[in-house]
Amino acid sequence: MVDLSQYLPILLFLAVALGLSSAFVFLPMLVGRLTGSHKPDPEKLSEYECGFPAFEDPRSQFDVRFYLVAILFIIFDLEAAFLFPWSVSLGEIGWAGWTTMMIFIFELVLGLIYAWKKGALDWE
Amino acid sequence: MIQVFAFYLFATIVVASAAMVIFARNPVHSVLWLILAFFNAAGLMVLLSAEFVAMLLVIVYVGAVAVLFLFVVMMLDIDFAQLRAGFVSYFPLGGAIAMVLLVELILGIGAWQAGSLNLAQRTAPLPEATPNIEAIGQLLYTRYIFLFEAAGLILLVAMIGAIVLTHRARGGTRPQNIDKQNRRRPEEAVRNVNQPVGQGVDLGGVEL
Amino acid sequence: MIGLAHYLVVSAILFVLGVLGIFINRKNVIVILMAIELILLAVNINLVAFSAFLGDLVGQVFSMFVLTVAAGEAAIGLAILVIYFRARGTIAVDDVNRMKG
Repeated sequence: MVDLSQYLPILLFLAVALGLSSAFVFLPMLVGRLTGSHKPDPEKLSEYECGFPAFEDPRSQFDVRFYLVAILFIIFDLEAAFLFPWSVSLGEIGWAGWTTMMIFIFELVLGLIYAWKKGALDWE
Repeated sequence: MIQVFAFYLFATIVVASAAMVIFARNPVHSVLWLILAFFNAAGLMVLLSAEFVAMLLVIVYVGAVAVLFLFVVMMLDIDFAQLRAGFVSYFPLGGAIAMVLLVELILGIGAWQAGSLNLAQRTAPLPEATPNIEAIGQLLYTRYIFLFEAAGLILLVAMIGAIVLTHRARGGTRPQNIDKQNRRRPEEAVRNVNQPVGQGVDLGGVEL
Repeated sequence: MIGLAHYLVVSAILFVLGVLGIFINRKNVIVILMAIELILLAVNINLVAFSAFLGDLVGQVFSMFVLTVAAGEAAIGLAILVIYFRARGTIAVDDVNRMKG
């Protein structure tokens, strides 16, 4: 089993981050309540000029092009994930391992060229 | 002690959120419960000292796959209430099959005896000194080269397949054409001239 | 102390939940795809648990391959879903058998 005490710094980091972020959220609210008058009315709560409405149906429509970009992101995310163990063990695996990764990257570059030529990366 | 506590915490949350994935009314909530399930499964893998797989789960599943699901749920305008119409009628059969499967699996695990493990027959013994990620690299890029390249080909096929299926050329895009930009000469360009009044316009070689 | 059987039970429950999700959400393809992801997650937990308790690294390497296949499956599955929705305006899988040609 793993020695969990080495994760203590990460836990402390998370606790500090949580504390700081909640302080940034709730402290202004608290100060606002204490120093000003808290009298909300519909005009005050409405969006200011060109702001987005804050509460509406969360399932607003997206364009299909976002989907293609998300797919390409998944593929290259996995490629990057395979790069991490390769880079730390490059000393042991030698030239054979290096060549393997170059072939792997070449396979994905073929896909990238295809996407580029088909215009899947074009935006307006 | 703290490991036992952490295991039961992660295991409970992963099972509960997996149940919420399939029972939630709104698919957006399903995706969010799925993200919680993946985070806690990553916690379980950290407890098993498989740090790299745990981080991969967070990066790939939470960072990419869950976002893709969220995109699709938001992209399609679907009446989800109508899709749940058969929920109650399917539940007895599905529940019965699931219960039978669960009882079988747990009986199987309970009755399973590994016997005396011959640890010398392990394919790749876990090295003590090297870190997890480095040990994985030493195995993945030497013994499993061909499987690794096959994984690359699967990714290539997924990418090309997704483009073939969903991409359709549309008018109105104006991509940058670098070659055309470089071939442009000053003579063809628009000039900004401070034209004196009453002299007429020099059209540059055009005879009037 | 937490043994191998604990992890196996967790992954068995996850697997069964995934199968149940496929059964009870028969019409909603998106949730079916999520249930398949749950099943693959259960497989991954199984592989990593055996890898850790037997002291054999191969399980972790193979769980990486399972992860790759799961990502590709999600990408292609959702792409099919998108074009099916485009053609028919619904994602009810009852009448997918009309998608011939």
